[in-house]
Amino acid sequence: MTETLACARVRVLLEPFVDGELSAEQAESVRAHLATCDDCRLQHDQAVSLPFRMRALRSPLPPVTLLPAVMGSLAPAQRNAQRAWTLLIPEAVLAGFILWYLSGIEGLAALASGAWGDLQTLATWGAGSAPLPEIPTADVLLLGALALLSITAAYHLSVLARLADAGARPTLAERRRA
Amino acid sequence: MHAQAADALSVTFSPDARALHAGQLARQATGGDMEAFEELVRRLQRRVYGFAYQHLRDVNEAQDLAQEIFVKLYRNVARYDETRPFEPWFWKLAANTTINYRRKRVPIPTDQIVDRAVAPGVDDHDSELIDALAQLDPAYRLPVLLHYYADLPVDQVAASMRLTVAATKSRLHRARALLRNALAEADERNSQQST
Repeated sequence: MTETLACARVRVLLEPFVDGELSAEQAESVRAHLATCDDCRLQHDQAVSLPFRMRALRSPLPPVTLLPAVMGSLAPAQRNAQRAWTLLIPEAVLAGFILWYLSGIEGLAALASGAWGDLQTLATWGAGSAPLPEIPTADVLLLGALALLSITAAYHLSVLARLADAGARPTLAERRRA
Repeated sequence: MHAQAADALSVTFSPDARALHAGQLARQATGGDMEAFEELVRRLQRRVYGFAYQHLRDVNEAQDLAQEIFVKLYRNVARYDETRPFEPWFWKLAANTTINYRRKRVPIPTDQIVDRAVAPGVDDHDSELIDALAQLDPAYRLPVLLHYYADLPVDQVAASMRLTVAATKSRLHRARALLRNALAEADERNSQQST
């Protein structure tokens, strides 16, 4: 025997009923109600046709300006990305200078032994048994170049981060103009 | 006619680009191939613009949103996994962009809604459904459009809206019930006017 459902209950079950998601017993109860209720039958007809009407919904064609606008808004991002590489030129020059000064493995070894010697001299100067060590001019130059390299790299990284965030996202006004 | 269209295409694109499917075009676009990306936009623009228009009911805003979706696609195309279907991935991105777009845009006051730039000729077709959709809360309208207009499966709609599949189904049922009621009321009004 099928349960007698009220209209309000049937209305809640109509979409699951149309989608075939109700149990056999519930579906039978809904079917029995629809056979006797004109209002709910009209609602059922709407529920059945709605997905088809949704899929048949007509939309306007995209304006011819859409594709050029999209590609146009991407072009500055591309140019910015290409320009961003030129930011690396000062870093490359500074890195080249440092590498030239170090002169490969021998230069590195000389730098390490020099730094170790400086530290030892500093330690004996701290103990009051030696004069203040003299730092070679070339080491000062190297230190300056390293500091400059770090500052330039940090600045350029911040520029690149800003470009990555805003480069490919044109403003609303830019899009309107496009 | 078809030959003319093919000729027009061949001016801009190599035959290879036209023969590729969307996933392959996306992969090529990842490598910086702008021709492949342009072809991808060309193929998607009709559905994306239609989706944006159905959601916003304004041709200017629809173009704005469609453009934002494609810019987002360009920025994220490197994240696309070529071993998976392109369309669900893309529509998930489109849905997220739409949600964010709605959040940041200034809502149009109710008394100015009549001034929206609607597309001529389009709103005459099934105007009851269009009106009912326009009245629907965006939280219900978006899953309906994704599922029935963009043909996204329920699980993909759920993923794009960060909902469970059960919650998405429930939301779709609720949205359809609201639309059904609005359509039934419109039918009733129409039949009363005709008698």
